[in-house]
This record gives sequence, structure tokens and C-alpha cells, in this order.
Amino acid sequence: MATTDRHLATGPEPAALGSRVRGFLGAIPTWVLWFFVIIWTVPTLGLFINSFRTRDAQRNFGWWMFWQDGAHGYGGLTLQNYRDVLGSEATGGLANGLLNSAAIAIVATIIPIAIAAFAAYAFAWIDFKGRDWLFIATVALLAVPSQVALIPLLQMYAGGAHLTIPLIAKTVTVFPDLDLAGTIPAVWLTHTGFALPFAIFLLHNYMSGLPGDIFESARIDGADHFTIFWRLVVPLSIPVLAAFTIFQFLWTWNDYLIALTMIGGNREALPATVVVASLAGEFGLREHLLTAGAFVITVVPMAVFFSLQRFFVRGITAGSVKG
Amino acid sequence: MDRVIATAVGIIAAVGVSAIVFIGANKVFDLAPRRWSLFSSLIGGASSLLVFGLLWGNRLIEEPVAVTAAALVVGVAAGYALSRTSDRTVHLVIGVTSGVILGGLLGFFFNSEYLPAIEPLGLVVSIGVGFALGAALWASRGRRASIVRSLLLWGSMGWLFGAWLLPTLGEGSRIESIVAGVVLGAGVGAWVGTFPLPDHKMKESISSGSRKFIFLIPALGFVLMTLVIPLIRTFWLGFLTGTPTHLTWAGFSNYVSIVTDPGIIDFSDWTDMFTSRLMIAGVLVLLIGFAVARVSGKRLGQTFGLTGGSLSAIAAGVILVGFAVFAAVRGTISNNLWWIFAVTIFSTGMGLAIAVLSDRSKGESVAKSMIFMPMAISFVGASIIWRFMYIARPPQKTQTGVMNAVWIKLGEWSNSPTATAVILGILALVLVGILFIAWRGRRAHMPAITAGAVVAALPIVWLIYRFLGPGLGGFQVIEATGQTIGQPILFLQEAPFNNFWMMVVLIWIQTGFAMVILSAAIKAVPTELIEASRIDGASESQVFWRITIPQVSPTIGVVVTTLVVTVLKVFDIPKVMTNGNFGTQVLANEMWQRAFTELNFGLGSAIAIVLFLGVLPIMWMNIRRMQKERAAH
Repeated sequence: MATTDRHLATGPEPAALGSRVRGFLGAIPTWVLWFFVIIWTVPTLGLFINSFRTRDAQRNFGWWMFWQDGAHGYGGLTLQNYRDVLGSEATGGLANGLLNSAAIAIVATIIPIAIAAFAAYAFAWIDFKGRDWLFIATVALLAVPSQVALIPLLQMYAGGAHLTIPLIAKTVTVFPDLDLAGTIPAVWLTHTGFALPFAIFLLHNYMSGLPGDIFESARIDGADHFTIFWRLVVPLSIPVLAAFTIFQFLWTWNDYLIALTMIGGNREALPATVVVASLAGEFGLREHLLTAGAFVITVVPMAVFFSLQRFFVRGITAGSVKG
Repeated sequence: MDRVIATAVGIIAAVGVSAIVFIGANKVFDLAPRRWSLFSSLIGGASSLLVFGLLWGNRLIEEPVAVTAAALVVGVAAGYALSRTSDRTVHLVIGVTSGVILGGLLGFFFNSEYLPAIEPLGLVVSIGVGFALGAALWASRGRRASIVRSLLLWGSMGWLFGAWLLPTLGEGSRIESIVAGVVLGAGVGAWVGTFPLPDHKMKESISSGSRKFIFLIPALGFVLMTLVIPLIRTFWLGFLTGTPTHLTWAGFSNYVSIVTDPGIIDFSDWTDMFTSRLMIAGVLVLLIGFAVARVSGKRLGQTFGLTGGSLSAIAAGVILVGFAVFAAVRGTISNNLWWIFAVTIFSTGMGLAIAVLSDRSKGESVAKSMIFMPMAISFVGASIIWRFMYIARPPQKTQTGVMNAVWIKLGEWSNSPTATAVILGILALVLVGILFIAWRGRRAHMPAITAGAVVAALPIVWLIYRFLGPGLGGFQVIEATGQTIGQPILFLQEAPFNNFWMMVVLIWIQTGFAMVILSAAIKAVPTELIEASRIDGASESQVFWRITIPQVSPTIGVVVTTLVVTVLKVFDIPKVMTNGNFGTQVLANEMWQRAFTELNFGLGSAIAIVLFLGVLPIMWMNIRRMQKERAAH
């Protein structure tokens, strides 16, 4: 309060009660903002602190009393939860899950970004009949819930896709039975397809805004579309490619539905989210490990998020704010 | 360690093969203008490889390795030979010869279990249909191309249909399959052999015209394979019933069972909504909002003046009434609508509020990134985080979840005279402050301010009433002993508001999303506009309601539609927190349980289609918006 007084006293008018009240009211927005910030942070903070506490401590005291755990005889802060949850299958088995998550997320980020970049370039810079129509049809699919595709896709991975031609009752195999159900490649394919409408939309927005004159002069110098794409468009689109990479990496790393459906019972191939969720499903002895498990699956996206936040924000705003 | 290596090899192989195919296709078509022979040979080889590869994949040829290799050689040779001469007769001979060889390979090595039994009548009819189609297409394309080539191609297609697809496979003889193959090969070969001779311009246009396909086919192929075709198939599966291996036609019975299932929508207690406190409070707030709108409208000469104060009152009233309705009408669809209603309104509203509050304030970027952070956390992680917030321990024990600890603490306070006195004092002070603001607003003829203050005073009055009267918070007095013990809330088990406590998780996640987008939009509002209105004497709240909000309203629309799509298919949170128990089922989890736990693909597909119908209006809106944008360019 003292600093406020002095600040007001140096103002053009002497500090009256009215202006002090006004100063108090004027600060309300900032208070409300930080109040929101605290509320938004508390849940994650609580999980983080709990993950270092013993089972007894977690069950008997709130995490906000963590410094008294030792005094109450529940054991001090410990890394045991992390050791257990990352360790053997019997206690947690999350290490294997993290490896699978990485395998899923890396490939399911690289493939769609490449494919979408080709398509976005074609939609932006190659003229052909029906281009607008095809573009809108593709991008409109981004609102389709993935649930509508899960059953046929699982059938296809499990037994291939066969088309029976009506009237003559002949069956043709369109997609061979590669026995993909329960494997990581099934998740790659699914993520790639589901990501494309948004990826094409995002990359197209950016690429169509690139200056056309450079491409025109490159064309006159004899460059073909592939050269223009590879030497000019890709380097110029690095910001949006980075934005989509982060977005898609977070999406695939955090995914639960597609991995659960396509991998299902094959424990060896399950990603970390599914492992942790099944740990949560048992409501029992290992509940104290859940804190460490949830924190482990959160650390990677958080690290990506805080280090590359600028690109991430650019990515999601570019998709929605006009201009 | 083996798994790490295997995974890495798999990743590199997958990425490498895709890259080689794509770059290879580009390189091949680069060859067309200058190295036509090489291009022609490669295309010839690739075409026959494609056809025989498909046959191989369908297990339709014997000795597949040798036959496919032979076909590849023939294709390459034909492509090369065609490119070396410009004599039309030689072209025709090369085309027919290589076609006959390939057709012969097909006929001679066709899987002996599937030999076709040709029926002459069917064959003649289908060739006739083929010719008719060819002539019709030729005519519809302005009769510019050669009619002979059109008839050749479509006649061959007729032969393909009549000789290979129409007959019963497996009842014919080797002779029949060889005839069927050779004639087909000869027809297609003649069509290839009569291609117009390519000049330089045509070679160029082959090279550049192919690019759209090379650039688009990977993406469109994936979209077709994983979205469009499965969507059509799901639609079809929705009309079937039975086990996954034995599905039979069931008409609309899946949809009928969705509509008639009381778990999907349950009106049995709907009259409760009229007596609920939420409804009473909501109607009260709505009335205040409309009254204020009427008063401020009078001054502006309108029926209703939608100012900041009246709008916030009306919005608060709508939320309360909505909650009363959703709490009384139960069932899966009602839950989904409640999710959409609550998450969309709260996330957009709070996101907008935080975006405005943080705009140009101290520590803006830190505050915003803390609120945005949950966006990076998985729904599974977020559900677990909040499960720990909601933990309820038995009344005799210390509460370890934040929410219940606060709730029990409130209960303790309202049972302790000192704490009650302190709280009542604070509440009274706040109330006086609010009433002072209301009085100032009344004097300054600003009904909006008065209204906002009155609405803000309502919860304070309610709190004062609770602390004076029945008390607030979780406690229970045991009659026998007169002892007071804490009474925690089972946040995730007590229906119907357990639904709302789960929505809180998604609101926590999505508010950051709304904030970031709206913040960008607010910063994009032209400063001259705001400066000008300030010079004209507009107050901060007038600037906000009359300049900022109309300017960012298209963005609010985008945020709302995005949120509706996200919320409609919410799955992870209910699955992890309650798995749909205690009256918290939602459509996506219902679909998953029917389809993948009970293996009822028919019913699961029907529920998925219901979800799809839910997003159709939004798809339509998106399409209209994009059409407008494309037209504007």
C-alpha cells in the first residue's frame, strides 16, 4: 500500500480517498487474472507434489501439507513411485509404454506432414479443374468425428478390405489382410488419415499466402513443380510446418481413443496413455502410482509446449483467426 | 533394446519407402519431355506391374513371381519399342503383340481353381453394352477423338466384364481362360498402340499435367481410405446386426433401439426442473436481465437494449435455466447436450474474460501460458489430475482432495461462531461496495451498471443467507450425540452434477484454447477504432461491448464451432473418470462399449452415425464459410 500511496502522491492531483478507491478498483482486473492463474495451476501442482509422496502420505494428508509427512511418520518425499511405475510390468510397466508412444508419435507426425504439404501445395499453386471443390470437400472432413471410421478401419486392419461387386457376386481384395490389428502401424495409418484435413487446411492457408512471383520466375527459369515445392515452398513454410509438427506430435502423443481401439489387447504395443488409463481403471492398490504415471505422460508434451509455445500458438491461431 | 532397434528400423523403413515412391514418381514424370524412351519404358513396366501385382495380391495367378517378372519385362519392352518408332502401323503391331503376350500370360497362369466358364450370351450383351458406352462417351466429348479407339477401349472393358467378371469362376477350362485373356490383351494393346504420336508439347503437358495427381494422390488416398470409405461403410453397418463375423440385415432396428432406450434419453423426472432452485434462480436473473434491457432500450429507442449489464444477466440466467433442464432430463443424449452447452459457454466466456483481463496487463505472457498449459496435457492425464482434486475420503478421515478439503473447511467455518462472524463481516462489506456501485450507476443513469451490480449482489445475498441460516459446506450433525462431522461430496458419483464436475476438466483444458485465439483476435482490432471511440467519450465498458465484441464476433463463432465439435465426441474423460457409470454416459463412450466391448458392430455404427449427424450442421457452416472466403479471393 505504501508504494501505491507514494505513486499516487507524485501524480498531478493529491491523493484523495476517491482516487485511492479508484486505484484499488482499477487493480481488480489484475487480481482476477492471477486468481484464474492460481486456480488453473493448482490441480497440476497438486499432482506433481503428490507424485513424490509415499502411498501412506497420499492417503492420509492433502498434498498441501506435504512438508509434514515425515513428522507424521508417513515417510518423506521419495522417487519410489516413479521407479515403480516405470519399472516392471507387475508394478507399472510404463517404460515400454513410453517407447511405444514415441514410436507412434514420431511416425504419425512425419508422414502426415509430408503428405499434407504435397496436397496443400497442389491446392494452392497447381491449377486444375475442380480444385476449389475438392479442397473444400477435403477440409470439410475435419469436423467428422473419428468414431464414424473406427469400426471399418479395425475390420480392415484385422482382415483386409474386400469389395463384393453387386449383381455378379465377385469379391475383390482392395486392401490386403496384413494382420495390422493390434500393431503400431495400424495406429500410424489411422492418425495419418485423420490428421490430413486439418493439416491440409493449415498448410494451405499459409502456402497460398506466399508470394507467387518467385514461383513464376522460377518456372520461367525452367524449374518444375517438384523443384519449386522442395527448394522454395518448403523452406518458406518452415514456421507453419513447425506449428503443425508440434500440434500433431502433442495430438498423437496424447491420443487415447485410437490407440485403445486399434491396439486393444496387445499389451506389448500399448502407448503410455493407455497404460496409465488402465492403471486408473483398477481403483486399487496402485492408485498412488497414478500420480507419477500421469506426471510422466505429461512431462513430454509440457516440455514440448513450454519450449516451442510460440509455434504452437501460431499454429492454432492461424487456423481460426482470419487475416 | 531389441524393441528400440526394431521400432527405429520400422520408422525409417516406413518414411523411406514413402519418400522414395513420391520422389520417384516426380523424377519419372520429369523424364517425359527429354528422355521419352526411358519414360515410356518405365510407364509400360509400371502399368503391367500394377495389374499383375493386383492379381497376385488377390491370389489369382499361379507362379506369381515368375509371371509378374515376365509381365514386367514385356511391359518395359513394349514401352521402349513404342517410343523408338513413329510408324503408326508398327505401333499397332507392337501394341497388339505385347497385349496378346500379357493376356496369354494371364490366361495360361490364371489360378486353376477360378477358371471362368464363359457364357456366350452374357459375353455378347456385355460387349454390346461396352460399344454403346464407348460411342456415347465419344459423342458426349464432342466427337473430336477417334471413335475407333473409344470403341476399342470400351469394347475391351465389355469383354473384361463379360468374360472375367460375369461368369462363374472355377467351372471353366484352361482354353476359356486363355481365350478370355488373349482377346482382352489384344483389345487393350490395340488401344495403346493407336495412341496419337506424342509431339514435344504433348510430352511437356504429360509431365506437368501429372503433377497434380502426384501431389494429391497420397493425401486423397489416405483420406478416402481412413475417412470417406469407412464413413460410408459405417452407415451401411448401422443397418446390420449380429456378431462381427456374421452380420445380417436389420433395417432401422438399431436406430429404433437407440431412440427407445431409456438410457439414451429419459424424461421421467422432467417436471423436477420447475421446482429446482437452479430454475428459480435462473428465471429470476433472466427477469432482471430483461428488465434492465427494457430500461436501457427505452433510452435508445429500442425494445431491448442489449448492454453489457443486461447481456451478462441474461447469459447467467440462461446458464442456470439450462443446468436446471439438463439436471432433470437425464440420459446419454441429454448428457452430451449438457457437455456441449456447459463447456462451450464456460470455455468461450472465461477464455474471452481472461483474454481481455490479460490484454496489456503486467505479466501477460506468463499468465496466459499458465492458463494455456492444460492444452498440452492429454485428456487422460487431465482426468487423473482432476480425480485427485475430487477424491472423497470417509467422513471420519482427513480429506486429501482439494475440493472436499475446501468444502469441509466451509462446513467447519459455518459451525464456528467466530469464523461465521468474520465471514459475514467480509460479505457485508462486499455487499455494501456492490450496492454503492449500483447506487452510483442509478445516479449516473447507467442502468447497465446497476443491473450488473444487482446480479453480482445475488450470490453474496445467498451466501449471507447460508451462513446466517442453514450453514454452508459439508457437515452433518449426528442427532444422538449432537456431534458435528464433515460430510464430503462424492463429486464423481452423485448424479446428476457429477456430469458437471467432469465437464470442469474439459473447461479447464479448453479455456486456454479459447483464450489464445480470442486474444489474438482482440489484438488484431485496429487501434485507431478504439482511439477514435475513446476520443468520442466512450467508457472502457462501452469500448468493450460496442467495438471489441462486434470486431471479434467472427472469431467467437470459430471458437464455438470448434469447441462444439470437440465436445460432441468427448470420450477420454468419461471413460477414465467413471466409464459412463453413475449416470454419466456420453455417446462416444456408449458407441465404444457397444462396438468394442460387446462387439455389437451394428449398434455401435448406428451410434457413430448419430454423432456424425450432430456435426453435419457445423460441417455445412464450415463449407459455406470456406466458399465465401474462396469467392472473396
